[in-house]
Amino acid sequence: MTRRHWQGIVVDFLLGTYAAVVLHRVVWQHMVVGSGSETISAVELAAYVGGGALTVAIGLGCRCTLGAWISAGGHVLRPWQQAGALHWGLSLLVLTVWAGWVVTKISPLELFSPQGLESAGRLFRALLIPEFSILDKALAAMVQTIYIALMATLAGLPPALLLGFLAARNVMRRHPLTFALYAVLRVLINFTRSVEPLIWAVIFSVWVGIGPFAGMLAMTVHTVAALAKLYSEQVESVDPGLIEAVESTGAHPIQVVWFGIVPQVVLPFLAFTIYRWDTNVRMATVIGLVGGGGIGTLLMQYQGLARWHEVGLIVLVIAAVVWVLDYASARLREVLA
Amino acid sequence: MALIELHDVSKVFPNGVRALDGISLQVQQGEFLAVIGLSGSGKSTLLRCINRLTEPTTGRVLFDGQDVTHLQGRELRHFRQRIGMIFQQFNVVERRTVLENVLVGALGRVSVWRSLVGSFPQELLEEALRNLEVVGLAEKAYDRVRMLSGGQKQRVAIARALMQRPQALLADEPVASLDPATSHSVMRYLEEVNQRFGVTVVCSLHFLSLVRRYAQRVVALRAGRIVFEGAPAEITDEWFRHIYGEEAQEVEIR
Repeated sequence: MTRRHWQGIVVDFLLGTYAAVVLHRVVWQHMVVGSGSETISAVELAAYVGGGALTVAIGLGCRCTLGAWISAGGHVLRPWQQAGALHWGLSLLVLTVWAGWVVTKISPLELFSPQGLESAGRLFRALLIPEFSILDKALAAMVQTIYIALMATLAGLPPALLLGFLAARNVMRRHPLTFALYAVLRVLINFTRSVEPLIWAVIFSVWVGIGPFAGMLAMTVHTVAALAKLYSEQVESVDPGLIEAVESTGAHPIQVVWFGIVPQVVLPFLAFTIYRWDTNVRMATVIGLVGGGGIGTLLMQYQGLARWHEVGLIVLVIAAVVWVLDYASARLREVLA
Repeated sequence: MALIELHDVSKVFPNGVRALDGISLQVQQGEFLAVIGLSGSGKSTLLRCINRLTEPTTGRVLFDGQDVTHLQGRELRHFRQRIGMIFQQFNVVERRTVLENVLVGALGRVSVWRSLVGSFPQELLEEALRNLEVVGLAEKAYDRVRMLSGGQKQRVAIARALMQRPQALLADEPVASLDPATSHSVMRYLEEVNQRFGVTVVCSLHFLSLVRRYAQRVVALRAGRIVFEGAPAEITDEWFRHIYGEEAQEVEIR
């Protein structure tokens, strides 16, 4: 049994189980019975696993499944076996789209219902006639948002710089201890980054109270993780020749980093940082929606009052600022790269 | 007196490739030794085992009578300061000035803190300028390396190595990315370093014409073993075919 065979068996089992679940939960319960349950009974579980096992058996028996196709690797399957694998794949795709349609409760009827269209029309007409009397208020809120983003970026910068080197394999691989630290940091960074800033905002609003500070802290955490990842990948992709050249002079490891790596990453680091600030401004707007202060919070207030002309103006201001920042940061990065 | 001694050195890389297979070699003080052989014959690995950029799998490396095979940390750094190295790809910082690049060679003599803030002592700056004079680049000291030609970049690397006040210089195919005329210019500077400062040079080369012109002694590698050791003039057509294979034809570089 080669590695490929095992991969094929695992794929067949997972896809077979998946097909059984979708067929039963979506097709049978929703379309035929008309009602489903939230819990899974032992019998059902056994049936699902059975579906996977059955697929594996078919795959090993007639070699006409996706798993068999993977196992075959470079070897050519017979035409009917290939056709089998292809049809099996296509049926899964159709099944998945069907299940997705049902689960998402997609309804063209509601998208094109007369009342719906009319309300949407009213809303868009209001948005298109922005209320300029609150421009000063909107601009002040926008400035607050930009500052929140700036502070989050600045606060996240020093730890991200440090982590950028400590989470780079080529810097840390020399010694078992530093390599262990590298592995731990890598996991931490990836975990932190995978938690959305909005969730961090919820956490920090409990900690320091709802408001701009909580929003800034949330973005700082995310900025540290996101920048650390970008930085460390940049450090990992530097030319090792220069590192060796500095090492061969008998320089201290810290000097090797400073003279062998840093000159190669300064400009990319700057570009990443500017891009991050740009991203943070957009993110600060979204976090404002849940009470993080700034323009997002203002938007939520007017939206709650259903004052769509004012909302229209705020959307306009956000769009203008994001566009300017996007353009400026793109040009800046172009110059630096 | 032997400055560099290799005793039965072998290197097996993690992927199973045996790059060096029981190399024993002595390099005399003040010698200019050329290392030749096909690509992949182990020339680079041999040079890198001497200053431990590559760790030998077995065998011993001696430098100036001292066993350096297992040096670590500070001792390893002090040992490396005594051996300069230049590379095929120059390995200089394009975006920094020539002078800043040369000063990298003095890092071992400056405290970490001083080097980080960039405050090198005045006498080191003067020494760097003197070394740039040796390689004929004094007037380029404040130019960015990016503006220089390939040959000039390699001379910056030589000046950087000189900042170590080295006893030996390892040159890993120093002219393989240069045109013939520039190759000779760089080789002449290596020759000068060897003769004027008495620095022992170990240099891997591709062109036999360069070997005949500059080297005092030649070591030829084939599949990680030494297959020839002697004077450049002793490399006959027969030896040439033995080193480079039956199909090989010699090309001249003038």
